[in-house]
Amino acid sequence: MSLTKRMLAAPLAIAIALMLSMVPSARAQDLPGLPDAIKKQGLLRAGVKCDYPPDGYLDAQGKPQGVEVSLAKQIAAYAFGSADKIELVCVTAANRIPSLQGGKIDLILATLGVSAERAQVIDFSNNYAWGGSDVLVDKDSPIKSLKEFAGKSVIVMKGAWQIGWFEKNVPTAQLLKLDSVSDGLQALLQKRADGFAHDFEVLRPIAKKNTQVKLVGEIYQLGFRGVGMRKGESEWVAYVNAALKKAYSDGLIAHWIKQHVDPDLQQSVIDSWDLSKAPKG
Amino acid sequence: MKHSFDVSYIMASIPALLDGLLMTAIVSAISIVLAIAIGIAGASARIFNTPIVAPVAAGYVAFIRNTPLLVQIFFIFFGLPTLGLKLSVFWSSVVALTLWGGAFNIENFRGGFLSVAKGLREAALSLGLDRLQYLWLVAMPLGLRVSIPSVLNTSISVLKNSAYLQAIGLAELTYVAMDKLATDFRTLEMFASIGCIYLVLVLGLSWLARRIERILQRPFAVE
Repeated sequence: MSLTKRMLAAPLAIAIALMLSMVPSARAQDLPGLPDAIKKQGLLRAGVKCDYPPDGYLDAQGKPQGVEVSLAKQIAAYAFGSADKIELVCVTAANRIPSLQGGKIDLILATLGVSAERAQVIDFSNNYAWGGSDVLVDKDSPIKSLKEFAGKSVIVMKGAWQIGWFEKNVPTAQLLKLDSVSDGLQALLQKRADGFAHDFEVLRPIAKKNTQVKLVGEIYQLGFRGVGMRKGESEWVAYVNAALKKAYSDGLIAHWIKQHVDPDLQQSVIDSWDLSKAPKG
Repeated sequence: MKHSFDVSYIMASIPALLDGLLMTAIVSAISIVLAIAIGIAGASARIFNTPIVAPVAAGYVAFIRNTPLLVQIFFIFFGLPTLGLKLSVFWSSVVALTLWGGAFNIENFRGGFLSVAKGLREAALSLGLDRLQYLWLVAMPLGLRVSIPSVLNTSISVLKNSAYLQAIGLAELTYVAMDKLATDFRTLEMFASIGCIYLVLVLGLSWLARRIERILQRPFAVE
């Protein structure tokens, strides 16, 4: 070995050793290989909710935060070694699947309910949480059950799964479809409708904080959430499934829930992320 | 994007899209007519410098032209009820579009009225015509013709801006398309369909306006 070669070899060896040591332990060998398209991109583009605390909401700086947002960041951390290698895109119930199909995002981590209709156009990861729906009403409302919404008006979110439930079970209810939870709550407070049907996970904290409204309390339409991905990207689905499993087993989910949820609501949220606690049927 | 363009899906969506089209047409038509009325009234007040009305009209024009339409829509739908004025989705929509179009029409008609030679106004007033007579007999016949192209422009914008009303849940064309998208995910088909429908609507409106213009130009046609 010539002198020059030796002079090059030593720094090279040090550099390689340094690079290896910098790879975080999170990028462990227990995760399958990242698909080439994502790897080449160098960052994860995730569609998250921005109006759905505690899963996805905007903080004082206008940046998305929340339990699902943390999960998305963690997937980026597993994939690229840094939770900053992520582009968070705010999506709504109505535009999340078109955004995915249009190639604007790589996955949907936005309270997406698993359904047969959706499974025809996108692929789902394993279920990661369960939830149900409730209806928010004015505090003086006489409505005690869902059947009583017959002939009355109900606010729903565009593209949300409560629409299908009401069309099937209370077909005479008039649905006022709006874009965001804040629009829905505003419209309810202005008595533009008799109720606001949405996921109970969102409605519960609202009912707690806002004394002008209360919950009907009849839980309907239990469902599971999954991460949404484009059809045919099976390698990517396998990666996300493994990442979900790892995030659970590393105890991260409960940690994030404690970060983003009021103490007295934490247990119910932790339960909703525990599939074994989902009611049967 | 794996799925191909599905024409049968568009066919199946036509009844729903027609409902949306009807709503778009009704809201736009009412708003266009009311906006023209506001425009003529406001412009008349402004050229005569009518006390109170003229400065109010000027302020109103400045406010509408310098704020986003979506903000105005939300203000009317969500803001006014806190001041005690609760309008339905439909009437909130009509009011929002009318106020928007009216502001632009005031300027359109003012431009037309100002194009009438000053001498004609002096002559009319010195012949003993009062202001309303001058407006009706001199300024309108001449000025309205000049205003037509820009009023048409504003009317087309009113029609196209009705798409914003989906934000407050008015079941117009864009709302129907977004609603179907949210459940069927046929992005390309839906946007292509409503794009074509809007195009046909606007072309129809332009054709109508050109005809009106031609009829009004008859006295001035060169034989």
